Amino acid sequence: MALLRQTFFIYLRNLKTWTAQPATLLTAIASSAFMFIFFGAPLGKLTLLPGFPADSYQAYLTGMVLVMTVVFSGSDMAMVLLTDILSGYFDKLLLSPVNRLAILLGTLAIGATRALAQVVVIILIALAFGVRFEAGLLGVIAIVVATTTFGVAMSCIGLVLALRTKSVQVTMNSWLLFMPLAFLTTAFMPKELLSGWFEVAVRFNPVDYVMSAVRAVIIEGWVWSAILPGVWVLVGMTAVLLSFTTWQYRRATA
Amino acid sequence: MIRVQDLVKVYPGGTRAVDRVSFRVGHGEFFGFLGPNGAGKTTTIKVLATLLKKTSGRAVVAGYDVDRDAQSVRRSIGFAMQEVGLDDLSKGRDFLVLQGVLYGMSRREASVRAGELLELVGLADVADRRVGTYSGGMRRRIDLVGALMHSPQLLFLDEPTTGLDPQSRLAIWEHLERLSSDGVTVFLTTQIMEEADRLCDRIAIIDRGTIVAEGSPAILKGEIGGDVVHLTLADRGENGHLIDKAASLAAEQPFVRQVESVDGHLAIKVVDGGEAAPQLMRNLHDAGISVRNVTVSQPSLDDVFLKHTGRQIRADEASEDEAGQLLKAFLGVKRG
Repeated sequence: MALLRQTFFIYLRNLKTWTAQPATLLTAIASSAFMFIFFGAPLGKLTLLPGFPADSYQAYLTGMVLVMTVVFSGSDMAMVLLTDILSGYFDKLLLSPVNRLAILLGTLAIGATRALAQVVVIILIALAFGVRFEAGLLGVIAIVVATTTFGVAMSCIGLVLALRTKSVQVTMNSWLLFMPLAFLTTAFMPKELLSGWFEVAVRFNPVDYVMSAVRAVIIEGWVWSAILPGVWVLVGMTAVLLSFTTWQYRRATA
Repeated sequence: MIRVQDLVKVYPGGTRAVDRVSFRVGHGEFFGFLGPNGAGKTTTIKVLATLLKKTSGRAVVAGYDVDRDAQSVRRSIGFAMQEVGLDDLSKGRDFLVLQGVLYGMSRREASVRAGELLELVGLADVADRRVGTYSGGMRRRIDLVGALMHSPQLLFLDEPTTGLDPQSRLAIWEHLERLSSDGVTVFLTTQIMEEADRLCDRIAIIDRGTIVAEGSPAILKGEIGGDVVHLTLADRGENGHLIDKAASLAAEQPFVRQVESVDGHLAIKVVDGGEAAPQLMRNLHDAGISVRNVTVSQPSLDDVFLKHTGRQIRADEASEDEAGQLLKAFLGVKRG
């Protein structure tokens, strides 16, 4: 009970900190819109390739924009935590007799909120670009839940990074770590059209399974053969990363 | 309230920041750790406040072992930090209310208490402005009352006034004096002699991780050995023979310990400056030597620090300034 209450208040503080910087959300919105425009326009004709699964390239891109955005929330959350560590506010929290877990949960909760807001905005932008969600409203809800959860999993990586290095340099450049995760995927083209080492790399990148599942829900509907592998990867990664982060966090704040 | 026995903290990498430090602080006492940057002050205070794990030794704070019962220690103490661990994007009032809630107060209780404290330190007007917009003195005050939200009986302060202007410093000192007279035990670290001298009942001088001297400021200064009477003569005489005469006259007095002559100026070490100065003046007058200027100085904690460490503590403030200059240069800030 005390844990929930403490988590709530720490979350509330994190929420206020976030909304006090509207630029962060605006940048996120702009970058999502840019991805639709800058990738959609030059690559739009790819849909004419034999074997391309979608009629609209914007529809194909939506899965990639969603997953890529939440992958980079790992980098965002690393910066959020590092800011508190460097300002000494994190120490101030540790100094108080709150349950240590409340601080972690309050931080992960804001990670989830940020991911959720970005996901909702991207879906609205996609709709504005005329993307149709084949699985309907239920599909949209499923995508929101899945990508937000994935955002939390990726935030875990960021939090551990900030906690362990406490370095601005490492944290500011941590997007580099997330880049291969986001780009060694079927972001722009389906697996059938990939070849060589890239195709192999994509096959071993867990992020691609999640991306493919999300995209299947958008362009094909409830095609479980494409969705289920993504679900398992999502559940597995989230479980592993949450446990790992909790363990690391407990060690760092013991 | 605090019992520390053979405390050692070695950082990963081998830096021995605190080396077998032992001391005690009683109920209601105002205790100070005095030392330059890097002496081990902040490390010690962080260990006592449960922010750092000690390497070895024993530390009991407010009756609880810092390792075994960290949560009880945290509940019992308030800590205002040197880094000023403030939340710049939060409003002053919100910052305090959250502090209260984190210490188990209800939101309503915390809100009332925050209002009182903001009033007390003169921040009521800016309570609903973001902490990031506060001046240096205001930041220290909000930090201080943040540590007081749950009315702790033991307060830790890590260099509460370093870098503040004299007026803001005085304001903080007055708050601390009031807290102390209310019975709150205070453990403070400082590199400001005047601060230790004015506030502390007892101080420990820490240098390179070890305590080199401990006692009340008066006793420590007493150990330096009495006051100094400085005399300047109206006329030095030919080849300064009047100075020599005055010096030998002073040296004959039973209450004089030592006489030094520097640039036609006499520094006379005595037991009690208040008694010695008029006596010396009389003797010199009787001998026909007229005095232009006389001052009496008492040994300061600066002298105490110098005696025990062989160095002056002030040197560190210059290096802090230097860092500030470098930062400004880096950011491209031009002066004037």
